[in-house]
Amino acid sequence: MQADLGIRARIMAPVRAGGSPGSVIAAFSTRKAVRLGILWGYIFGLAIASSEITYSRIYKTAAQRDALAATYGTSKAMSALFGPAPQLQTVSGFTVFKISMALMILGAVWGLLTSTRLLRGEEDSGRWDLLLCGRTTRGGATAQVIAGLGGGLVTLWAITAIIAVLSGHTSNVGISTGSSLYFSVAMVATAAMFLAVGAVTSQLGATRRQAASFGAVFLGVSYGVRLIADAGVGLHGLIWASPLGWVEELQPLTSPQPLALLPIVAFTAMLAVVAVRVAGARDAGASIVADRDHSPAHLGLLYGPSGLAVRLLRATVIGWWIAIGVSAFLYGLIAKSTGATISGSMKQVFSKLGASGTGAAEVFGLCFLIEAILIGFVAAGQVTAARVEESEGTLDNFMVRPVSRSTWLGGRLVVALVVLVLSGIAAGVLGWLGAASQHTGLSFTSLLGAGINLVPPAIVILGIGVLTFGVLPRATSIVVYTVLGWSLLIVIVGGFGTVSHWILDTSVFHHMASAPGLSPNWEANGIMIGIGVAAALVGGLAFMRRDLQGS
Amino acid sequence: MSDPDTALRTDGLTKRFGDVVALDHLDLEVARGDVVGYLGPNGAGKTTTIRLLLGLSRPTEGRAEIFGLDCQRQPVETHRRLAFVAGEANLWPSLTGAETLALLGRVHGQVDVAYRDELIERFDLDPTKKVRAYSKGNHQKVILIAALMARPDLLILDEPTSGLDPLMEQAFRHCVHEARDRGQTVFLSSHMMSEVEALCDRVGILRDGKLVEMGTLAEMRHLSALTVEARFDGQVPDLSVVPGVSAVQADGSLVRCQVRGSVKSLVKVLAAARVTELVSREPSLEELFLAQYGEDGHAG
Ligand SMILES: Nc1ncnc2c1ncn2[C@@H]1O[C@H](COP(=O)(O)OP(=O)(O)OP(=O)(O)O)[C@@H](O)[C@H]1O
Ligand SMILES: [Mg+2]
Repeated sequence: MQADLGIRARIMAPVRAGGSPGSVIAAFSTRKAVRLGILWGYIFGLAIASSEITYSRIYKTAAQRDALAATYGTSKAMSALFGPAPQLQTVSGFTVFKISMALMILGAVWGLLTSTRLLRGEEDSGRWDLLLCGRTTRGGATAQVIAGLGGGLVTLWAITAIIAVLSGHTSNVGISTGSSLYFSVAMVATAAMFLAVGAVTSQLGATRRQAASFGAVFLGVSYGVRLIADAGVGLHGLIWASPLGWVEELQPLTSPQPLALLPIVAFTAMLAVVAVRVAGARDAGASIVADRDHSPAHLGLLYGPSGLAVRLLRATVIGWWIAIGVSAFLYGLIAKSTGATISGSMKQVFSKLGASGTGAAEVFGLCFLIEAILIGFVAAGQVTAARVEESEGTLDNFMVRPVSRSTWLGGRLVVALVVLVLSGIAAGVLGWLGAASQHTGLSFTSLLGAGINLVPPAIVILGIGVLTFGVLPRATSIVVYTVLGWSLLIVIVGGFGTVSHWILDTSVFHHMASAPGLSPNWEANGIMIGIGVAAALVGGLAFMRRDLQGS
Repeated sequence: MSDPDTALRTDGLTKRFGDVVALDHLDLEVARGDVVGYLGPNGAGKTTTIRLLLGLSRPTEGRAEIFGLDCQRQPVETHRRLAFVAGEANLWPSLTGAETLALLGRVHGQVDVAYRDELIERFDLDPTKKVRAYSKGNHQKVILIAALMARPDLLILDEPTSGLDPLMEQAFRHCVHEARDRGQTVFLSSHMMSEVEALCDRVGILRDGKLVEMGTLAEMRHLSALTVEARFDGQVPDLSVVPGVSAVQADGSLVRCQVRGSVKSLVKVLAAARVTELVSREPSLEELFLAQYGEDGHAG
């Protein structure tokens, strides 16, 4: 109630101050989106700068650079995972290869989270009803939020570009201002498209979670399609069927092809128009994938907090399982053919990234790093969902009845653990199915083991999340996603050598053996599980002792 | 040792949020079977008290017990015997009303099914509808039914009727009367004086985290002033000099004043003058309340 009043005051203030009542929502959304744009702009810019500067420091001579190009540049597996690598002898080519795929995916995730939060999230919280009050139409309000999101996007680009230009001008790097600006455009292009995707899925889904999940499935499919296109199996034309493919075709820093901006701009604009149209045509609070207003009672799971959590999170979790399963299946399909292309010197580079073994198993080891990251997101989502129960006050319904805090939290964690283990099993089993269909010769047990091997890092994230939830509940989501984002960044940067092992050790993914190429390191896994459990215990005890806190 | 006749009791219960003292050494006792109103201006600490009683917040100092059970250390046992209704329902939008009631009933563990169905009827709730599609008043009905259907020994209500229309407010009062007749204890925080006046045997008034008044309505009336209105034909006497009389307001031939203690001297003065109309009444709870915290302008 107090929060509502605060927002009401903030929203009303500009109106009273003589601002146009029509632009209140735009101002409100712009402020939020710009704040997020600044934060992520720094991350993008720093990733670019660190890549450019490290390369020029490590690979000084032409011979070193040629060797690098010979190993990475010809690998179909690397091309499938990270995109093609045409000019590895140059800082530019290396940077594009090394970080563009990661930034593209991060940008897409940023876009989805930001737009679903400001559209479906705000609408769900009821704040929109407050704002609308006849001042503007629903379509108009959506258009205003989209304008605000545009502001956030420009901020993201501007900060990324400033850092990229500065880094490009440092000695040894030598990338022109124009190239850096164009590269920055390419790096925020997925953010633009997925802001628009999120705007549309916000109209489709009934909750923010559902809207974000729809968008995530679309992202997974886009990545899968471009992975096949780049896998060197004669299907390169497919690249034009994937929004991520269009960004790849921009070919920044190597051989720029600005025409590829056309589909990107057209796609973004089209989705924005669709979102505004659909929003204008539907009722407040309603959604297209309609939740009917009436429904017969389904009491099956409704025995307590854990059963309810299963029921409420079911759709989202199944979405993640589909993304994990489908991508593992795709890796299975390409593992044999790409594994065959790995040359002797390539193996050294692979081992730097943590992978080992021969052929297909090595490819799997690398690909499963991406699965581990996805499962990390699932873990982060589980803790965040628990915190949301508290901040939105639905937890109070249990806490004023005969349910102890430990029962509630324990139950939620058991649900989360089961979800994580099943995610790992899904990756292993579907990866095996894909591999078996190509007669790759990897055993079911080794891939199942590799799948389960993905779970311990997620348990660490879960544990850190519960610790934060207990001690500093309002920071829960920021902390878990920061840990995840940091770990991801370290994996990407660290894969290319010369990062102090102290820094590498801070990444939860660094401690996971790259199975099935290597056999899972059960000792390290045990330590990770121990850390996760200990953190969760401390967090649980702190939770027992504190006040319940709203948002 | 706890008294078996006590439903709820706090000892020096204190809660600070940083520098803000939300509740300051509260000593409160509610007897079994009582219906107690808990009043106070915005920010007085009513919700804070209730969240401490429910174990949702941790006290800075002091303790609270319900039926002799420690609210902080034995929340599960305490909660078996009570039900709570908040002023703002935070329900799950994707569940229907029926699903919500089923879930909350199962979690509570005891439900009078026949009474539940009767309440659904009385409050005119459509349980097949999803919570998302309910209005504010309907949200409130769901949590009211969920609490009442458990027939708990103690009902803790924090502004339970916010958003209800007058008809539903009436239905709510009926339910509270029923609860009292069954011997249930009711602790009702409210801003609606008429509601508290109609329902409660005893009233506590909280101000800036301190309990400033606690007693039956009759006791509180006795302590406070009687309002007298008189219309005169001709000369209006000066009432402000009469002992015990205060707050004299004259409006032409109509004079309004308040009398504390004996009315003897006032009656003498009035008899000497030519009174054409005389009305005297006890203060309403609203007046008591305003007198209690409105005297230095504004509280908080
Ligand atoms: N979580 C919190 N953090 C900081 N201050 C708080 C918190 N909760 C309550 N307060 C403060 O404690 C005081 C008492 O608040 P409380 O909500 O108990 O008042 P109330 O009597 O229920 O008021 P109302 O009639 O408006 O519901 C207020 O000054 C409030 O600002
Ligand atoms: Mg309150």
